[in-house]
Amino acid sequence: MRKLTPYLLLAPALLFTLFVLVYPLVQNLINSLSDVSMITGNSGWIGLHNYQHVFEDTLFWRSFRNTAVYAVAGTLLALLIGLAFALLLNIKLGKFSSIMGCLYTVPWVISPVVAGFAWKWLLNDNFGIVNYWLSSVGIVPVGTSWLGHPGTALLSVMVARVWQFYPFAMVMFLAGIQSIPQEQYEAAAVDGATMVRRFFYITLPNLRAVGSVLLVLGVIWSFNDFNMVFVMTRGGPMNTSMVLPVLVREFSFVHFNLGRGSALSMVIFMLLTTLSFLYLKLVSRGEQA
Amino acid sequence: MRQKLLLTILLSLTLVTCGKRSDVVELHDWNFGGRARLIEFLRNRVYSFEAKNPGIKVIQSDKSWNMIREILYADFAAGAGPDVMNTHSNFAAEFGEAGHYYPINRFPDFETVKQWYVPHLMESTRYKDNYYGLPSSAIAFVLVCNRELFDREGIAPPKTWSQFREASKRLTKDTNGDGVIDQYGLVLMGGDKGGFAYRTIPFFFKAGADVMSEDLKTIMFNSPKGIAALKLFADMYQIDHSITPGFLAYGHSETNDLVSGNKAAMSIEGPWFRGMVSDKSPGKDVYVVAIPVPDDMIDQYTTAPTLQDMVMYSINAHSKHLNEAWELLKYLRNEEADMYWITQDLGATATTKKALASPEARNVKDIDLYINELNHARPWPPHPSMIAIASNVFTPYCQKAIVGELSPKAALDLAAKEAQDIIDEKK
Amino acid sequence: MKKALVRSAMIVLALLVLLPVLWTISTSMKPLNEVNMFPPKWTSSSMSFKPYSDMFFYLPFSIYTLNSLIVAASATVLTLLIGCLAAFSFSRFTFAGKDTFLLIFLLSQMLPGASVIIPLFQLLQTVGLYDTYLGLILIHTAVLLPFVIWLMYGFFQTIPRDVEDAALIDGCSRMEALRRIILPLALPGIGATALFAFLGSWNEFFFSLILTSSDSTRTIPVGIGLFVGEYIDVWNQMAAAAVLFSLPPLILFVLTRKTFIKGLVAGAGR
Repeated sequence: MRKLTPYLLLAPALLFTLFVLVYPLVQNLINSLSDVSMITGNSGWIGLHNYQHVFEDTLFWRSFRNTAVYAVAGTLLALLIGLAFALLLNIKLGKFSSIMGCLYTVPWVISPVVAGFAWKWLLNDNFGIVNYWLSSVGIVPVGTSWLGHPGTALLSVMVARVWQFYPFAMVMFLAGIQSIPQEQYEAAAVDGATMVRRFFYITLPNLRAVGSVLLVLGVIWSFNDFNMVFVMTRGGPMNTSMVLPVLVREFSFVHFNLGRGSALSMVIFMLLTTLSFLYLKLVSRGEQA
Repeated sequence: MRQKLLLTILLSLTLVTCGKRSDVVELHDWNFGGRARLIEFLRNRVYSFEAKNPGIKVIQSDKSWNMIREILYADFAAGAGPDVMNTHSNFAAEFGEAGHYYPINRFPDFETVKQWYVPHLMESTRYKDNYYGLPSSAIAFVLVCNRELFDREGIAPPKTWSQFREASKRLTKDTNGDGVIDQYGLVLMGGDKGGFAYRTIPFFFKAGADVMSEDLKTIMFNSPKGIAALKLFADMYQIDHSITPGFLAYGHSETNDLVSGNKAAMSIEGPWFRGMVSDKSPGKDVYVVAIPVPDDMIDQYTTAPTLQDMVMYSINAHSKHLNEAWELLKYLRNEEADMYWITQDLGATATTKKALASPEARNVKDIDLYINELNHARPWPPHPSMIAIASNVFTPYCQKAIVGELSPKAALDLAAKEAQDIIDEKK
Repeated sequence: MKKALVRSAMIVLALLVLLPVLWTISTSMKPLNEVNMFPPKWTSSSMSFKPYSDMFFYLPFSIYTLNSLIVAASATVLTLLIGCLAAFSFSRFTFAGKDTFLLIFLLSQMLPGASVIIPLFQLLQTVGLYDTYLGLILIHTAVLLPFVIWLMYGFFQTIPRDVEDAALIDGCSRMEALRRIILPLALPGIGATALFAFLGSWNEFFFSLILTSSDSTRTIPVGIGLFVGEYIDVWNQMAAAAVLFSLPPLILFVLTRKTFIKGLVAGAGR
């Protein structure tokens, strides 16, 4: 009975994951290797045909590139901003810091759907407040279309995403900073190190663990982020802001090709799994060192 | 004492649940989209139906029109779904083909019911040899002009393509003298893939171009007439600069904001737009006219077809209560119900002959225009992949041609090839 | 002097950060014809709280709110319960297959929503849980579990074993040790995790949309989505709904932030 305890404790969680992971995964695998249409159902085995179509589709590669940029650049930017805010909040200003901390965390609490719409209104080319301010001081021409221009659409969605994610990074970094033992700083001060040196040689190294976890989580979550792009641009204009999760919906629910949608899902899944493996390898290697 | 209480509770529970298992037929009715007034009307209609049919209980749910596809496909894939629902009439092809919609022509009184409706509109619910729904809310795409801007400029709404282009050019200007153009002749809805296709195809139709062959086997929108239609927009955007530059991001509300805010003079819309504009900007009036025709076709101004779209009420083929569903369907869509589309502004046109010929119809703004256009209009070809082709092939390529990334001919040829591939795969 | 400078900078930053929120609040009080006009205005003479009451007539938001509360609260409790047990198992036991199981939980975060929706929908249909509280709660729980387990695992790892070991020697069972010693110590961590879980369920849109169909189970995000009609977009009421919708998690966060930070400090320190 003793031997079984860990397994019993794990059992309920495993059961859930079985149904929500294993079952859909298997179903996706089967679908991805068959000709399955929403309209006509499963018409039989076609092997890797769906995967071939996916890899030959220029839209897939564009979405992949977009998603990678969105995930990596977006997460890095959010981490930078989060770190900056964490440093600011670390300054001992008593209740003031506490209140500011609450205010800075608000974007994280807002639902992504709500955030998407709010940013859409802000970035409206004719009536949005952002353009009104920026064009009054002459930074951009009147009526600049952020979401309607191929060059800026994805970036605009990324800004909204960074806005939503940075508080999470900020809080984690702040916690990390506040758990750095004071002795390290004191020793450095004794050695005459400047604030800048202290930051780079004490603060940053101590935050490496938190930072790498945030990076991985941020990238994985961004890769699967459907809501933001869908609400703000639907992947447009002209598919220039298309990202992989929105493309899955396109294949399955608009082209009605469930087989291809499943193949794309499997590709995303395998990609993220590989990334996670690499990360785990790096972490374990780091721990050994 | 406690045991008595327990027993009473158990007994009442049994009675309640037993009560549920009586002979009451439960129908599920899903309302997709619709204005508040329409939803209210449908509720009341259902209550009065229940009063007339004591053995039937109707459970209504309101759902978002935007996710209509996801919601229905997820449900049909599981063999579930409502008994009665309203969708685009062009769902007849997809859902008829898949066996999800019930062919209502199988009901014995169908021939009589069929006579209630404008024949042209009834045909839109047909796929192969079956009819899959009862018409409701008909839409014909027309040209809406900001009255104030047109009157100020002293021009009349255009009838030909040359007039259209000229009007658009003249209405594109810098209104406050700061050197920046802040008013445009035409706003296009580029941010909504389906919506964009719905607004450009009417020009193709008016010019005499087709989307597909009658037998649904060949794509035809890249004909010379189609290319001419696309070239019209491309020239207006690239040469005249009279189309709003941010159009690729615009949806319904942006379009409304621009016309209501006097920042755009024309938009391609349907019966809902007049009400939308006056809701947003009370007192604002518009001219509603037919979509312009090519210059050499002016004699066909009132007969050339525009795009027609329609909602239809259908029955789930997997429903366990087909006959009761049919009764509900008829009650929701009969001539009496249809009068509501005449007496209220629901943003669409009525579909029964009786309602359209009634004296009250005379009070509906633009009703004669819509009746005329609906009598000549054509829907999208009823191919199961039509919506996907329109949104994902036709729209992106047309948009590329308009902004100048491709020539109109190259864009339509490439689009036609991709669309043809999709059609052929489906065989 | 320097502190005053820092304070002003921080206030400016706060205003910038809150810009979308402030604009949404402004929109929520405008009449429809003043939303999206040029030049954009923050306030006007015809502002009122009318959209806040109108939205309850447009859609049954009181029911949606109840539904959201029930689903989010239940999913949070269920996830914490199951997650704690699993995290405890990972933290305090060594057993065959431990790494595999950890991996399984990590992997389950990586399937995109659009691809799992149909199999999940069919599953719920089969067991009769479609369009029910329980069905949605179970799905939310399953979605939240991996992250919750990961968080709780971290927190448990920071709790030293000495006190626990002492209790075990004194004759306490493992489960008693969990209940009496570990859980009280891990309370900040549990608080932080509870907030994450609640937030995740409260804001969830995609699954809630497809797996419920009637007003009696619909949650607020889905209700907000209904504002975007086919032709009409009632932006002001939607903004009002968005503001109200964001209040409970905000209030929760403000109330629990001390515990929350404390929990994360413990977790991040590992």
